[in-house]
Amino acid sequence: MDHLAHVSNLRSSQSQTQISHLALDIGGSLIKLVYFCRYDDSCRDDGDELRSQNDSLCSKSDNNQPVLEGRLHFAKFETSKINDCLDFLRSMKLCLGGSHDGTAPPSDKIFIKATGGGAYKFADLFKEKLGVSLDKEDEMECLVTGANFLLKAVHQEAFTYLDGQKEFVQIDPNDLYPYLLVNIGSGVSMIKVDGDGKFERVSGTSLGGGTFWGLGRLLTKCKNFDELLELSHQGNNRIVDMLVGDIYGGTDYAKIGLSSTTIASSFGKAISDSKELEDYQPEDVSRSLLRMISNNIGQISYLNALRFGLKRIFFAGFFIRGHAYTMDTISVAVNFWSKGEAKAMFLRHEGFLGALGAFMSYEKQCLDGLMVHKMQQKFPISASSAGDNIYCSLSSNSDENGSIECTVYGT
Amino acid sequence: MAGLNGDPILGIDDKIEDLQYKNNNNSNEVVDKEELVGIGEESTTCYKSNQGGEKDMAGSSIHRSGSRPQLDLSKAEIQGNSEERDPTILLPNQSDDISHLALDIGGSLIKLIYFSRHEDQSVEDKRKKTVKERLGISNGNRRSYPVLGGRLHFVKFETSKLNECLDFISSKQLHCGRIDSHHWNSETPANENAVIKATGGGAYKFADLFKERLGVSIEKEDEMDCLVAGANFLLKAIRHEAFTHMEGHKEFVQIDHNDLYPYLLVNIGSGVSIIKVDGDGKFQRVSGTNVGGGTYWGLGRLLTKCNSFDELLELSQRGDNGTIDMLVGDIYGGMDYSKIGLSASTIASSFGKAISDKKELEDYRPEDISLSLLRMISYNIGQISYLNALRFGLKRIFFGGFFIRGHAYTMDTISFAVQFWSQGEAQAMFLRHEGYLGALGAFMSYQKHGLDDLMVHHLVERFPMGAPYTGGKIHGPPLGDLNEKISWMEKFVQKGTEITAPVPMAPPGTTGLGGFEVPSSRGATLRSDASALNVGVLHLVPTLEVFPLLTNPKMYEPNTIDLSDHKELEYWFTVLSEHLPDLVDKAVASEGGIDDAKRRGDAFARAFSAHLARLMEEPAAYGKLGLANLLELREECLREFQFHDAYRSIKQRENEASLAVLPDLLLELDHMDEGTRLLTLIEGVLAANIFDWGSRACVDLYHKGTIIEIYRMSRNKMQRPWRANDFDIFKERMLGSEGKKPKPHKRALLFVDNSGADVVLGMLPLARELLRRGTEVVLVANSLPALNDVTAMELPDIVAEAAKHCDILRRAAEAGGLLVDAMTNTLDGLKGNSSSVPLMVVENGCGSPCIDLRQVSSELAAAAKNADLVILEGMGRALHTNFNARFKCEALKLAMVKNQRLAEKLIKGNIYDCVCRYESAPAS
Repeated sequence: MDHLAHVSNLRSSQSQTQISHLALDIGGSLIKLVYFCRYDDSCRDDGDELRSQNDSLCSKSDNNQPVLEGRLHFAKFETSKINDCLDFLRSMKLCLGGSHDGTAPPSDKIFIKATGGGAYKFADLFKEKLGVSLDKEDEMECLVTGANFLLKAVHQEAFTYLDGQKEFVQIDPNDLYPYLLVNIGSGVSMIKVDGDGKFERVSGTSLGGGTFWGLGRLLTKCKNFDELLELSHQGNNRIVDMLVGDIYGGTDYAKIGLSSTTIASSFGKAISDSKELEDYQPEDVSRSLLRMISNNIGQISYLNALRFGLKRIFFAGFFIRGHAYTMDTISVAVNFWSKGEAKAMFLRHEGFLGALGAFMSYEKQCLDGLMVHKMQQKFPISASSAGDNIYCSLSSNSDENGSIECTVYGT
Repeated sequence: MAGLNGDPILGIDDKIEDLQYKNNNNSNEVVDKEELVGIGEESTTCYKSNQGGEKDMAGSSIHRSGSRPQLDLSKAEIQGNSEERDPTILLPNQSDDISHLALDIGGSLIKLIYFSRHEDQSVEDKRKKTVKERLGISNGNRRSYPVLGGRLHFVKFETSKLNECLDFISSKQLHCGRIDSHHWNSETPANENAVIKATGGGAYKFADLFKERLGVSIEKEDEMDCLVAGANFLLKAIRHEAFTHMEGHKEFVQIDHNDLYPYLLVNIGSGVSIIKVDGDGKFQRVSGTNVGGGTYWGLGRLLTKCNSFDELLELSQRGDNGTIDMLVGDIYGGMDYSKIGLSASTIASSFGKAISDKKELEDYRPEDISLSLLRMISYNIGQISYLNALRFGLKRIFFGGFFIRGHAYTMDTISFAVQFWSQGEAQAMFLRHEGYLGALGAFMSYQKHGLDDLMVHHLVERFPMGAPYTGGKIHGPPLGDLNEKISWMEKFVQKGTEITAPVPMAPPGTTGLGGFEVPSSRGATLRSDASALNVGVLHLVPTLEVFPLLTNPKMYEPNTIDLSDHKELEYWFTVLSEHLPDLVDKAVASEGGIDDAKRRGDAFARAFSAHLARLMEEPAAYGKLGLANLLELREECLREFQFHDAYRSIKQRENEASLAVLPDLLLELDHMDEGTRLLTLIEGVLAANIFDWGSRACVDLYHKGTIIEIYRMSRNKMQRPWRANDFDIFKERMLGSEGKKPKPHKRALLFVDNSGADVVLGMLPLARELLRRGTEVVLVANSLPALNDVTAMELPDIVAEAAKHCDILRRAAEAGGLLVDAMTNTLDGLKGNSSSVPLMVVENGCGSPCIDLRQVSSELAAAAKNADLVILEGMGRALHTNFNARFKCEALKLAMVKNQRLAEKLIKGNIYDCVCRYESAPAS
């Protein structure tokens, strides 16, 4: 129980304790943050300071008493506003600045687990601003670990979404593998998961969240992703897209099973000479863009699932962020191309897979005795409503995407 | 006659012809059929001017040979088959320029395909006809070809300029449905019911306009049906149709049409359809994507304010997508994500960098946006296509549709996607006529046109005299007559320079070109090629056949020199360019040197130079380019400007001069013993081969003496050893050794080269020797003039003249039907009287100094069936082409090398070295 001993020792150095329970996923567009907050911690109340009590850490693990009890918190920042993130970390005193305790170890020995491309790109910045080193974890590994954790440990994590109906899917943890994990970040990775730590990135596409946002910004002048997403709600893609009906004079192309409302060509109507960009409603453009990208991801995902004979496709990543229309489109695409045989599933904590995975990697490394999956099975974590705060502002420091009550037991 | 009677082919052909004339003598229908079946190269469709004489001739010959026993049998045969043949082959002889029209009216382009009959350019003569009878390859034989000869033209218009398209159709009278209604579809005789097959969305949209303007109805064909029919046709019928395009390198793929199915056809129009094709008319649309050409153009328009698709595409040439796409390196601080095989330059997120707050749309270069869009869409299409190919276990993916339009970077990106995702297992292939799939399919949908059965060897792709000049413009004006053609040529020259200016490339070292690990391609290959829809004119020549004596037609490659070697290409372009002024002089002189001829000469020179320039830029513009094609291009170009025979007078003069000295030569030869004579004959062939207007070196020689002087000088220099010298082996085959007399050859095919001394003093004496030994001789000559090459039309006169002084030649020529005057007197008694084996002349089906043995005339194919010796003479046919060809029978290749470069390359020798290559028949 080296780790426990270690954690115990942190009693005198609470900030260091926090560090070991903070993980980052620094993507191309967003920084996702997962941190652990002990119960009875003041952070529950004011969110300003995370104080941990280590009483429970002293408990014996062999009688299944909690090793740690607390909350997993989720937060996100735009990568372009990384300073906000750094400020947040500083303000939350998640990082060791020596302010609490002069006996803290030298900062260059403090590591934060991080994944995503930014873990490489911003390593120096973290060092400089916060004096911590980023311990880089492989992105795919983190995604998979995160997904596996969520699918096994969190009750009602996965759900289907079709025609506005959200339906939770009960996943038998013993019958989880193999599955296809589609992580839609700036780009899209498609990963075939065969077990814990057993996975392969089988495909991907560059048409992802970054494309939606990037093209959307250029086309609509929206200020942020969520605003763009919001716009799409009110849009009508038929103004911009060329539908089968447009080509065939309003009739279906029944011979090949295309209804008149099927999109024949995204943005296909924009080739018209008579209209310029300004003449199109941003709402319509956003809607068309969203459908184009969601549909494409759904299609490529299904084709890859088919290729490997996978029954389940889980979609995750910040692009989805619980947006109903996005999920609907992806679901429709999967449903359409699979002729109803495959179903798209979504994860409530979709955006935090990588960060969670990075977080879990502490366990792997340090908590030798902590059999994570066992713990998860025995003590499902009841989650707070993480997925419901869809349209929260990303730039807000204090915002948390949600938190999960969790209890970590040693074995 | 006697010698040929045993030939079963003869019997059948005769009976068909006999039947025709006997039953339908003097009726118009006969003429129609003759018109139709008498196809081939332009020169062979030539009954118009002398139908009357022809009929008489044929009729009389039938009466004289009416005792032939095959007559009744043939009748039965024809009746049995006429039902399916007649509707397809009938054509009124007066409307020789129009036939079929089909349209694919898309959202941005109208693709038009029309079919025109071959123009009649030469006159069938009586002798030729008789020779055909002797050979058993009379016109009746052609009745087995279900389709008429002619040309398929490919034209495109912008849909927004529909009126130009209507004008074009109207000016060419393409909509006059006579042929369609009367003869192609005999149930609908009324003219006002004229119907044009069309596909594409516009077939619905513009139907009324067509009715109003042209008075024709549009008959809508299903788009997918058309696509598939078009693709199947192209893949089966056109040799160099499919190609791969990787890293700027284009390579044609030989598709065995027995092993074509199944394949995946990806048609990228506004949207993308992915179709699994299992056979003719058997297909399923298995997938598709809404991210297609319309998305590129639509988004591109919104983002860049470009005014046309081509402009947008053009912009992408200079783009760097790294400024706008989020690359793996951007996320990983310039590093690869090597663990999962993604390099730093891989696009992680298309347009992912545009999320930056700092830049607005105006701050991005349109070039970069265009490239980013192009890559996003191409890559996505490649990926989805591959996944579908994988799903159905398909090896081949063909991409077509207007989005691609031969654009190198688009093809590279798609190819790369397919290669990347399949890890090299699958290959993206493209079609040269990709833009015309739908239109071709609509064309194919006309009932009973017979095109389905066309084989690769029936189609000759020719260089179009239209669109390429404008270098990317959609089309030229409807060029009615020659005059318009010339003035357009003159206009083009002014325009041409600005259009062909090279397009700058993206600066090297940017991620723009490095993404997906596609290395920066060469400038030339990255050139925007929006004009790629300007494919060649397809000449349908249903009489063409594969030369039956080739050992392996599938592996056969006519060209000895590979022009894909750029240096080689450059050399030949230089040679041709340098020779051009001289050729123009000759051509103009051949037409009397009048002003009109001069004007045409200039136009020809411009057209030819323009073609050369285009080919230099894109050698594969019309399929795989070989020297044979290049030389043929020149001849085609000449004919296009109505120089039918630039060397006519020169040929005539040389023939006369040579014929004058022939008797002396024959006398000289007859005094030699057999062995010496054979050597002297071969020497003579090689020596006479020096007379070649196609060779610069030899043209210089001409100024130094008379023909006979040069000939003798040349022969004296013919001292062995020759550079390639199989003479002794050939001699042993001919004469045997140690008293053993080998069996003479049954029939020899002599592929002759130049007029004048070459044929008269070289090949004729050799032919005479073979005849003397009891070998039937078939002289194989060009159908159409090429330089000073002797044509099949000219040969009978030459032989007749020679025969005046030589019994052997005379009797053989009589037996072969070459001497018409003599024949009319002796025909009845021919069978009994003639003790000689025949000397015959057939046309080879081409009009080039080289010969592609995959496409020879049916006469030659028929004549080859009994042949056991092939003699190829001259550089064009024995060295430039066919040097490496292998035959089922014995072969002798004779040529003097009159080109230093070729001498070095081929035989490691020098100019004027000789090649005498003998190949025995392969053991079967």
